[in-house]
Amino acid sequence: MGEPTKTFVITRFDPDKDEVPKTQEYEIPVEADWKVLDAINFIKDEVDPSISHRWSCRMAVCGSCGMMVDGEPKLTCKTALSDYGDRVTVEPLANFPIVRDLVTELEGFMEKFQRVKPWVIRAKEDAGAADSKPPMNDKGTFVQSPAELAEFKQFSMCINCMLCYAACPVVANEAEFLGPAAIALGHRYNLDSRDQGQDERNEIFRDEGTVFSCSFANECSEVCPKNVDPAAAVNQAKFGAVIDWATSLVLPRASAGRRGEQGGK
Amino acid sequence: MKHFLLRIEPVIWLLFGQGLLIGTMLLTGWILVVGLAAPLGLVDAAALSFDRAHALASNIVGRLVLAALIVLPLWKGAHHMRHLSIDFRGADRDVVVAPVLYAVATIGSLLGILAVVRL
Repeated sequence: MGEPTKTFVITRFDPDKDEVPKTQEYEIPVEADWKVLDAINFIKDEVDPSISHRWSCRMAVCGSCGMMVDGEPKLTCKTALSDYGDRVTVEPLANFPIVRDLVTELEGFMEKFQRVKPWVIRAKEDAGAADSKPPMNDKGTFVQSPAELAEFKQFSMCINCMLCYAACPVVANEAEFLGPAAIALGHRYNLDSRDQGQDERNEIFRDEGTVFSCSFANECSEVCPKNVDPAAAVNQAKFGAVIDWATSLVLPRASAGRRGEQGGK
Repeated sequence: MKHFLLRIEPVIWLLFGQGLLIGTMLLTGWILVVGLAAPLGLVDAAALSFDRAHALASNIVGRLVLAALIVLPLWKGAHHMRHLSIDFRGADRDVVVAPVLYAVATIGSLLGILAVVRL
């Protein structure tokens, strides 16, 4: 006797049978060094194989195992069980539709990703290696200094775990909000020395439901398991969008991608 | 209205950002000096006499600082309260809330500037 146990209150939802999600409790023996994910895997393997949850790498790289643990978005493979009491509530990520049990629907999010054009945009094809800007090396790739890499590296560490979306009060209220990770991703390319697409992305950033919908709660950066600091990216993107707007007043651009703006100004 | 609010957002956000900066830095120092240091005798109260304060406030730099201190935090407050309202499930009422708050900030700014000019 004396083996420590904990009770897990886990959200259950079967779309074929249930109208609304319900909860189910499992009391299981736990090891001192377990993460929350270990406990859920134990329940799935030993107690109730009908539980559905996503996980893969177990080392905070793949970003699949995000769940609400005691009401907070957490990467369950990185969250020590010892930090929690005898009753631990595990729910699917907030602000996403539930597919089943702890599994959420991420389709809408992938579209948000694409919207910020997360790739290096070049104004035109580079004719030769010599006259491109930044210069190319003899292997045909752009030269980038460590300092230029450091400009955006932090914002490129996102693993798409969606914890920031589950934490964001703006996402909770307007599902169409572009959201922290997608804005950080777009901003990451805006900061890339090889990229020439800032004008296009800043225009997107001035659209409805993008950077200016952010209400500065900073929760995204609080919950980010990779210290991407999306809130900083959003604020920098706001500043970029403001500067872009101001310069567009004095230096009108070729109207290639311009939408919804009357000419003349 | 929604489209208009989106169009003016860069300007509002700039005012908001500057108001935030001034609110946290200058106003804190202001309160520290006038509200704490002076009553505690850390600053000579005579240094803050009306004549001296008036002279400081009514030269051109003083007027500019004073105007910024009045106007920018008003916009910071309006913008912050607008987003607070949205966060409390108020996205639908934003088309009413935002214009009212910005109108208050506009009127306050004009009155503030008027007061500073007439110092």
